Amino acid sequence: MSQRFRRALMALVFISAALPVLAHHAVQAQFDFDKPIQLKGTLAKIEWVNPHSYFYFDVTDSKGEVKRWAFESTGPGGLRKAGLSRAARGGFKVGDTYSIHGFASRDGTTSGFVTAFGFPDGRLVTIWFGDPNAN
Amino acid sequence: MRTKALAAGISVVALALAYWTVPVRLVAQGIGGDTAAAQAAGKVPTPHTGDGHPDLTGLWNGGGNGNVNVVIDEKGNVHIPLNSRETSPVNFERDSGIRQRADSNRPIYKRQFWSKVEYLDENGNAEDPTFSCMPAGVPRMGPPQKIIQLPNELIFLYQTKNTYRLIPINGKHPPADELEGTWNGDSVAYWEGDTMVIDSIGFNDFGWLGWPGYFHSEDLHVIERLRRVGNVLNYQATAEDTTVLMKPWLLNPRTLLLNTDPKGTLLEELPCAERSLQHMTTKERG
Repeated sequence: MSQRFRRALMALVFISAALPVLAHHAVQAQFDFDKPIQLKGTLAKIEWVNPHSYFYFDVTDSKGEVKRWAFESTGPGGLRKAGLSRAARGGFKVGDTYSIHGFASRDGTTSGFVTAFGFPDGRLVTIWFGDPNAN
Repeated sequence: MRTKALAAGISVVALALAYWTVPVRLVAQGIGGDTAAAQAAGKVPTPHTGDGHPDLTGLWNGGGNGNVNVVIDEKGNVHIPLNSRETSPVNFERDSGIRQRADSNRPIYKRQFWSKVEYLDENGNAEDPTFSCMPAGVPRMGPPQKIIQLPNELIFLYQTKNTYRLIPINGKHPPADELEGTWNGDSVAYWEGDTMVIDSIGFNDFGWLGWPGYFHSEDLHVIERLRRVGNVLNYQATAEDTTVLMKPWLLNPRTLLLNTDPKGTLLEELPCAERSLQHMTTKERG
């Protein structure tokens, strides 16, 4: 990782601004956390919106057919603070190919909840839960 | 496994008890707080304006809460952790729902509205206006994150939905038949000793008072009280609604810390777009 990327990230991490509190749905009402999935796809579009960011990938299935998948993540605030909204800072770049780790939707549509992105340069960006009571 | 489950259960009960027994919770931006920091902040002199009143001007999102922790390892891998009991997204949402429904401080509705509250709570994914990106409004959106106090006007700024309120000091409400009925209502402010009191009427009946289906009517009347002690801002809001409530409801008080970081600011919040409702297979919410 370049020093520039690291500096940009750390500067963003320490911005003293708090996040708003958002009402949200229960993710388990939409996604099945007993059904992990892993796909590889070309990033087609990102929606930096609240309450959940959305990442759209074109994924080629076993029959060679390309399907558009929609992956939900957390709100855009944290991802942007981590510099992931700017390709020049090591963030996402439309057109690049990523591996996507997550969980499948319950309704069977081509959508899911993402837990980690594998970047083309080998970096793994994980957005997942830690236990505040673990220690 | 049973021990783990028991421990988790005890945690939830302990959390609920803490919620019920602590009368004033320290909440900086509603995400937690630091009691020691609040005590220290309360001991500095309270600034006053030229007219002798406390100066509420400031960025009130201090305390260091709400910052996103980003962990970057030597290979450049990024980890953005979200806190949830036992690292479970299911617990994250479920515990949130339990906390909000278990709060013993709740508005008391007239009997004929009990079933409506129950319906709205059960169907909150479709019914809660904030779920479909509508505003939280006054008083649900809580205290402002930034206050600018002018001699004759208060300017309140909220990061959520990049919201503002312009509140005349010693102003008067327009006649009732001229009020539009809005999410934030029509507000006027006045000093009661060292406490700034804000009186708001003229609401719509779309907004909610709280997450568990706590709706209100157009007759909502909100009284907010702000008192600065040093670099601590105490905020209280009372909701009166003689049409649907048995008695006025004092929402949980909030205590905010001044953000003294010269780089502290409010970030532009990105728009909201609801994408989930069409895919949801249960009514669970958090």
